[in-house]
Amino acid sequence: MSFQHGKSTVILVSGNNLSAFTNTSSFTRGADEHDVTTYGKDDHVVAGGLGAGSFTMGGTYDNAASGSPRAVLEPLIGAVVALVRRPEGTGSGKPQQAFNGLLKSYVETSPVADMVTWSAEFTKSDAVTRTTQ
Amino acid sequence: MDLASVMDEVSGRLDTIAGLRCYPYPVATVTPPAAVVSYPDTYTYDATYGRGMDRMSLPVVLVVGKVSDRAARDTLGAYCDGSGTKSVKQVLEGGTYTAFDSLRVESIEFDVVSIAGVDYMAGVFTVDIAGSGA
Repeated sequence: MSFQHGKSTVILVSGNNLSAFTNTSSFTRGADEHDVTTYGKDDHVVAGGLGAGSFTMGGTYDNAASGSPRAVLEPLIGAVVALVRRPEGTGSGKPQQAFNGLLKSYVETSPVADMVTWSAEFTKSDAVTRTTQ
Repeated sequence: MDLASVMDEVSGRLDTIAGLRCYPYPVATVTPPAAVVSYPDTYTYDATYGRGMDRMSLPVVLVVGKVSDRAARDTLGAYCDGSGTKSVKQVLEGGTYTAFDSLRVESIEFDVVSIAGVDYMAGVFTVDIAGSGA
């Protein structure tokens, strides 16, 4: 067991490797919460429900006509696409999460004193497949 | 990015300013007005995943003459202007480069620099450069 640096993280969206344009990503997994408290209880009783999750990523904008975040993501807005996340990079024996996600938004931001950036937000759809590469 | 190529290209672009002597590395002596592309203050790796992008903050030292010389002030002023044929910002940001992707002249600080034992009035431009990490 060892700590892992984030610089080697690999993200594939619909088969396109956007890692070289990405400097942040976050995968959140959770579940619905149901209150099943009955009369006579002094505290809430809860039960777990359906799984849920979201995935966000962002980085530096690139104007390439193909393979760049804009070229890949803009046409996919509103579609459920395949996502692959490799938090330790690509390599034999390293972990991988594969799941589908609805691309809810693609945002380009232009700060006056810095590089143009982009970000994208997905809602997880269905189960996550965890494998070892 | 290849550091030497970046410094060469920045110096080469500055060389298009008429009358300005340009050096792509810190030299022992200069004859003002002169622009010296110095080593980066910072060279930051891993601006994106997978060695996608690196960034550096490159100082360009523009030496104009004696501190007490009024002509030196006027000369330096033209290089500091936000636009014009001698504007360092306009000339550098208007260039086309192959050694890196993006360049922005961020700021300028004024200082007295000593080169070969001679004190010169100088403007130190901070240039933000981004390019491929591979």
